[in-house]
Amino acid sequence: MILHRIVAALLWFATGIAAADAAEVTVKMLHVEQNPQASGFWKDIARSFMATHPGVKIEVQYLENEAYKKKLTTLLQSQDRPHIIYSWGGGVLREQVKAGVIEDLTPSMTAQWRESFSPAAIQAYTLNGKVYGVPMLVSQVGFFYNKTLFAKAGVDANAIKTWDDLLAAVKKLKAAGVTPIIVGGADKWPLHFYWTHLAMRNGGKSAFDAALRGEGEGFAAAPFVKAGEQLQQLVDLAPFQAGFLGATFPQSSGQFGDGKGAMNLQGNFMLNSMRANAADKKGLPADKLGWFPFPVTAGGKGDASDTLGGLNGWLVTKGAPKEALEFLKFFLKPEHQREAAARGFYIPVLRGTQDAIADPILRRIGENLARSKYHQIFYDQMLGPAVGAVVNDVSADIAAKAMTPQEAAQAVQQAWELAN
Amino acid sequence: MTDGARYDTAVTMSPLLRYAILLLVAGLVLVPLVATVLGGFKSLGELRVNPFGLPAQWEWGNYWSIVSGARYWQLLWNSLIVATLTVALTLIASAMAAFVFAHVRFFGSTFLLRYLLIGLMFPAAAAILPLFIKVRDLGLLDTYWAVVLPQVAFGLAMSILLFRNFFRQIPAELLDAALIDGCGYIRFFRYVTLPLSRPIIATVGVIVFVHSWNNYLLPLVVLNRDSIYPWPLGIMAYQGEYSTDWQLVLAFVTLTILPAVVMFVTAQKYLVAGLTAGAVKG
Amino acid sequence: MFASLAAWHRRAWAMDGRFAVALLFLPPALFLFTLFVALPMGEAAWYSFYNWNGYGTPETFVGLKNYELLLQNRPFRIALVNNLLIIAVSLLIQLPLALAMAVLLADRIRGAVVFRMIFFVPFVLAEIAAGLIWRFVYDGDYGLVAKTASALGFEPPYLLADRELAMYAILVVVVWKYFGFHMMLYIASLQQIDPNLYEAARIDGATGRQIFTQVTLPLLGPTIRLSVFFAVLGSIQLFDLIMPLTKGGPSDSTQTLVTYLYSYGVTRMRIGFGSAVGVILFTICVVFAFGYSRIRTRYD
Repeated sequence: MILHRIVAALLWFATGIAAADAAEVTVKMLHVEQNPQASGFWKDIARSFMATHPGVKIEVQYLENEAYKKKLTTLLQSQDRPHIIYSWGGGVLREQVKAGVIEDLTPSMTAQWRESFSPAAIQAYTLNGKVYGVPMLVSQVGFFYNKTLFAKAGVDANAIKTWDDLLAAVKKLKAAGVTPIIVGGADKWPLHFYWTHLAMRNGGKSAFDAALRGEGEGFAAAPFVKAGEQLQQLVDLAPFQAGFLGATFPQSSGQFGDGKGAMNLQGNFMLNSMRANAADKKGLPADKLGWFPFPVTAGGKGDASDTLGGLNGWLVTKGAPKEALEFLKFFLKPEHQREAAARGFYIPVLRGTQDAIADPILRRIGENLARSKYHQIFYDQMLGPAVGAVVNDVSADIAAKAMTPQEAAQAVQQAWELAN
Repeated sequence: MTDGARYDTAVTMSPLLRYAILLLVAGLVLVPLVATVLGGFKSLGELRVNPFGLPAQWEWGNYWSIVSGARYWQLLWNSLIVATLTVALTLIASAMAAFVFAHVRFFGSTFLLRYLLIGLMFPAAAAILPLFIKVRDLGLLDTYWAVVLPQVAFGLAMSILLFRNFFRQIPAELLDAALIDGCGYIRFFRYVTLPLSRPIIATVGVIVFVHSWNNYLLPLVVLNRDSIYPWPLGIMAYQGEYSTDWQLVLAFVTLTILPAVVMFVTAQKYLVAGLTAGAVKG
Repeated sequence: MFASLAAWHRRAWAMDGRFAVALLFLPPALFLFTLFVALPMGEAAWYSFYNWNGYGTPETFVGLKNYELLLQNRPFRIALVNNLLIIAVSLLIQLPLALAMAVLLADRIRGAVVFRMIFFVPFVLAEIAAGLIWRFVYDGDYGLVAKTASALGFEPPYLLADRELAMYAILVVVVWKYFGFHMMLYIASLQQIDPNLYEAARIDGATGRQIFTQVTLPLLGPTIRLSVFFAVLGSIQLFDLIMPLTKGGPSDSTQTLVTYLYSYGVTRMRIGFGSAVGVILFTICVVFAFGYSRIRTRYD
């Protein structure tokens, strides 16, 4: 009798759980946005989706940037992987697709939806004619600067047009007792911006494409070696903050926001990090913050309008419930993109939403990006995980004076050959 | 011989000098710890100007925000589950195996023992990558078992060694007499060996528990879901997120080392005896 | 005849008993060990001959290429050197310190137990916690080192960001963390030494130093050898301590074998390459363990 009761209770319990399972679908979304206002905005979007879609639960989870990048490969192999993941596109995406862990979105991508994005944006997430992800934002890397400190040293940002102008500005800042540049050396990728951008200015799109095709010396060719030499010129001036090799990206953003240094070569996403990590949780106010694009190099083949930056978006992992893609579509609705633009979180990719950008710096960057004929995605993402890591390594090594520009370029080329 | 000094000690030294040295070293050992505990009670601004001393104002909010959140307790709970499972499985498997090695001689038993003791010689780190692949292929990634099973496997060598040494000390006549009386090996194990083995069970249990509790590399590689993180992964994630808020990180560190330090202080004689006995004998 | 039958029966029964217990009691341990220790070790050797990213099965056989790449790789060579450095510091600084403290505390002086506890506490902490604590101590903005430096009038140094000094900063932490453990080993041993030996030696007119070198040290021999064993094996496996402090940086200057394995093998999913590091790690440990047991059988 009692046994019967127990079995019945268990069955009821089991079916109860099964019923609950059938009723509720959980979609997990993993991101790296540290700024609580931006991530809060995303959580609000999730909430409004859940309100109109009973039975669907959206979990928006955060993982710190570096930990995310390191864990992603192992994360994607787990049964318990998130359904929507943050992506920087490029070679890393290619590896993930090759591993078969990313859902092909082409069947679900209606022509209308596809047309709503700028062609470059969709292209970044298309491999072999199939669409594997959805773009969300563009970003550009440039020099953010502290207007007060520049004024103190008598440096005019608008006069910095060439690399030599930049070096001169650095010397002037040092003479005035100001730390010229803040950089997050511990994470290495902030340093690779310098190497990459110099290579872009030196060789332009043609040099990069040639290297990808394996022509000539590839990444050991002259533009890349020269980039290392130019970076070395900068490093020799000792322009960085004390302990820069131990400062992480969040720490360096905070330091910049605290006014510890005059310039910070970063993507516009740095602003979110600055606000999260500055001592007063606000960082530099808009009127003290300036921006100028990366200078051109003498004799460089690159165009001054070429941009380095990100085309970040979201991927759906294999086996995710269909509600995941539904949520993604909802997430990227024009009004949400406009709101993000208005609140200054990021620069949206949906056509016709850029006019909602309120912040003048972001607006300027948006215009740059619209005009750019060559938008290079960060090398450390573009070249894939193995080679990208080497680019980061050599950039940090040059900055630490542990490697010559020649060795650096060769190391990248060697890694490229190994991986392909 | 006239100054009353003791001559049966290892070293003669004026007490003043002895205590001076001891106090100096003790100070160097304690300063980082004390600064950490106190740091959790300061605000970030104060931490910058006054890292050593007592807080001008005791900020209970830092500790409170951690203790009142679910995250901290979840981390401890995960660590507890993993450690308990590891200890249970290790004790069972190693005691049983050690019993066989201690009393039963059969063809190949020495070989098998040497095989298992190879495990003493190399670290889990050497095999971490294939271990990851194996755990993944078994579908265990992101579960407690992903951590528990490898931990048990790697802990077997030392545990078997310790158990076997102990079992050997039980007089052989006892076993012979029992066998003659018709009591099988298994009954003997259950009714004689185990009850006598309380000390060694406790020793091995504590060693395995502490090792599991503090383990970082293995969970780092096989666990991805932060709801299942044990505390070492949790604290690194916390530090990654709040890297600029040292006062919070220090509070978190203090709260995580507290269980270990408390446990040590209360059981110190025992822990130490177990460690040294096992080590010296081994 | 019945007697011999009975004897045979008893023996068979005893055999059955033995077999039964062996068959029942051994498999769990053997199974777990084989599956999670022995097999992975073999697989590590197998994978090390391939270039593999972990998905599917290994396809690209590269022979000894991974090992070649390793030896050419600057961070790997740095890691080897660092491990040697850690071993050297452990043996030459940490162990003598532990011995000195043990000698001071083996006697039943007042407060000995308290001091022993204090010195042992760092050992009790998880390595990850110790690493974080010292990360704070060394922090250039908030740390104790920075504060002391500026109090003394110096520029606060960013020790962990300095390629030259970071490893030494880590070595300090290693000594701090482990000397207490060795001290406990020595104290246990010292307390076993018969005090009459000391008395006899003093009566014979031996000086303090002679007593130490002729009486104490030789009797401590086995324990010191054991201590060296633990110190070397522990030094080779150092990982948890380094990650919170420097993650192997700056510029790979503080890499050790295991942090290198993690940074270059695990996070980049280069299974073959990482396995080669694992094989080298295993080989070093095995060689050392064999060497140690040889010495032990010779002296003990």
